Amino acid sequence: MIALNDAVGFGAAATLTGLVIGVLCGLVPLILGLRNAVIRHAIIGFIACVFGGFAAGVWGGLLMMLLSTAVVISFMYVDRQDPFTSRASIEDVDFEESNFDFFIRQMAALGRSVRAASYALVRNKAGFIGFLGLLFFFLMTVFGPLFIEYDGSTHMERRRPGAASLYSGPSREFPLGLDWQGRDVLSHIVYGGENLIVVSVEAGLLTTIIAVILGALAGLLGGYVDQILSALSNFILTVPSFPLLLVLASILTFDSLSYLALLFAVLYWPTLMRAVRAQVFSLRERDYVQAAFSLDLGLWHIIFREVMPNMISYIVVNMIFTIRSAMYNVVGLVFLGMVLINEPDWGVMIYLGRSRGAIFNPDAASMLLSPIIAIALFQLSLVLFTRSLEEIFNPRLRQGL
Amino acid sequence: MEAIPAPVETTPQRLAKVFRQVTRSYTLRVVVQGLLTLWAVTTFTFFLIRKMPGNPIQLKIDQLMDQRQLTYDEALASAAGLYDFDPDAPLMGQYLDYMTKLAHGDLGKSILSGGTPVIDQIRRYLPWTLFCVGSGLLISFTLGVFLGMAMAYWRGGTLDNVLTGVASIMYGVPDFVIALLLLMVAGVQLKIFRIGDVLGGISPDVEPGFNVDYITNLFQHAALPMLTYIWTTVGGWILTMKSSTISTLGEDYITVAKARGLPERRILISYVGRNAMLPLITRLAISIGFVVGGSVIIETIFQYPGLGRLLFTAINGRDYTTMQGVFLTIAAAVVFSNILADLLFGVLDPRVRVGEQS
Repeated sequence: MIALNDAVGFGAAATLTGLVIGVLCGLVPLILGLRNAVIRHAIIGFIACVFGGFAAGVWGGLLMMLLSTAVVISFMYVDRQDPFTSRASIEDVDFEESNFDFFIRQMAALGRSVRAASYALVRNKAGFIGFLGLLFFFLMTVFGPLFIEYDGSTHMERRRPGAASLYSGPSREFPLGLDWQGRDVLSHIVYGGENLIVVSVEAGLLTTIIAVILGALAGLLGGYVDQILSALSNFILTVPSFPLLLVLASILTFDSLSYLALLFAVLYWPTLMRAVRAQVFSLRERDYVQAAFSLDLGLWHIIFREVMPNMISYIVVNMIFTIRSAMYNVVGLVFLGMVLINEPDWGVMIYLGRSRGAIFNPDAASMLLSPIIAIALFQLSLVLFTRSLEEIFNPRLRQGL
Repeated sequence: MEAIPAPVETTPQRLAKVFRQVTRSYTLRVVVQGLLTLWAVTTFTFFLIRKMPGNPIQLKIDQLMDQRQLTYDEALASAAGLYDFDPDAPLMGQYLDYMTKLAHGDLGKSILSGGTPVIDQIRRYLPWTLFCVGSGLLISFTLGVFLGMAMAYWRGGTLDNVLTGVASIMYGVPDFVIALLLLMVAGVQLKIFRIGDVLGGISPDVEPGFNVDYITNLFQHAALPMLTYIWTTVGGWILTMKSSTISTLGEDYITVAKARGLPERRILISYVGRNAMLPLITRLAISIGFVVGGSVIIETIFQYPGLGRLLFTAINGRDYTTMQGVFLTIAAAVVFSNILADLLFGVLDPRVRVGEQS
């Protein structure tokens, strides 16, 4: 199973297998679109699928296939249930719905959401710039290794005549210069982002999941559950979190960075949990939630169908900020030398560069600046991207399609 | 037996009433809650930091064996003589001992610094952090409030557009990035200042006292960490103040004030400004709590002798008592500032006060 996942899952990224998967997935929206004369979207969908499959194997390919097929269906869908606003003629109207009709209707709704979302994404300029920035880092991490080879060994022969160290500024051969071992900095930048980005995203996701579930439980159930969870979050908020992370990171030894993400999530859920709890408290009093309670629709239904859709914008934006804060904390830990992460890694580059006197060596400027700027740009892209996310997930802002 | 005389019953009733009144008192509840939190933090950190691998004596033994080529037994003898600390004592006993001392206001003695009381260490390091981060916070808050208000008042204008972009960029870049950039670009590449002149807390050759030299030197050393702090926090203040002002501007009483023909400046200061600042004051009070902790990373980069740096050296050297003391100080500051924020909000917002009375 794991081998299969490596072969066709994320392991297939940037390989021929991934490309083939992408093309296969792309055929679905392409054929469907061409047969129904939605040519432009069929071709865009095909390209999206090829890209998705190439960049993330089966998972990316299937996701893109689902989304682009939904978009194509949304263009050709005729709503048989609604004779007033759709193009259905009165003979077509049929209030009996088969499973297939239901599926098509849901796909069309999904497609319309995707179209609205992509429109909202492009509309906000700052947000779109952030999106392009994130896309750039994604492409660099996934496809960079195809073009640039990792340079991990010492190159004494690269010492320039008369130079005191192997550090070197940018040159034509090495666009970002050389580090203290004469290694190509560019290759470390390309290879060094993956771990950091993956850990930060994992930490952001975990923190958000914990915070949302606990916050919703505390807000909806109230009483003892609420009191216990509130006391716990107060307690965690009182302990200085970064020093605590330092202590915990030295107690626990990680064989996988995912544990670091989990540790981060355990320490950082209270802030979001409090906000979610407060929002749930105010939403709970709304009529439609009260109606759902009196209909006894079940706690999970109320959480995910009645309450969540009103908070999703807030939660997603917060998740992005949590990812940002996780990356800050992980780099901070590495920077102080408290977590041992293997090279290549942006944080390790800063840590080693600093401990090897790169700050005071004018030749080493590009070696130290490169990871710093990479981290800064990534975080900046995240912050800018939240502007678009706000528009995508906020139904009030998402008008005009 | 069943018939209990009436007068006997009144005493417990009265007591219960007094008890109810006391427990209902908001201030008391907050204070008790704060004390409980501090106790929990102390207990939690006490057992947690003793779970860290290695202990002060172990680290010293390693150091002695490494540096002076002693055998293990020699190193053990000399290390154990150096510190007044027994790592083999039962943990519960150590804990009870510590808590008893703590109840008397005694934070114990630092294990590594030859028996200096922890309280003295905190007294020595805390003023640096308070001075540097505290003035940073004030500057950043003032700047943020004025800029945010101006942006909201002339929203859509050039100032608004430029500053919104700048603020999100400033907010988006982590502080250690700014710190390293300041050191490298301004110090090493452009040679605006000499690196040696800005690292640390104060130059060793300057006589402490109330004179121009000392104060200039103090600011010279605090300038970079302060600048870093301001740079990374001012964006947040600007954006919060802007959104708070915009929502205040939409209130009816502003329209009424305009209709009454009040001068623009008066509306801006007493009608908009005061109300828009309410949520910020609470946030300011909460931020004060986090001032105390300083920042481990920033203080390490600039070698600034603040509390964060003390904590970091204590963590690295497994100086249990110092770690405890610093954790407790920071937690106490956070608890205190939260209480302060609660009380301040009640004082500043008349609506809360009225709500409590009725």
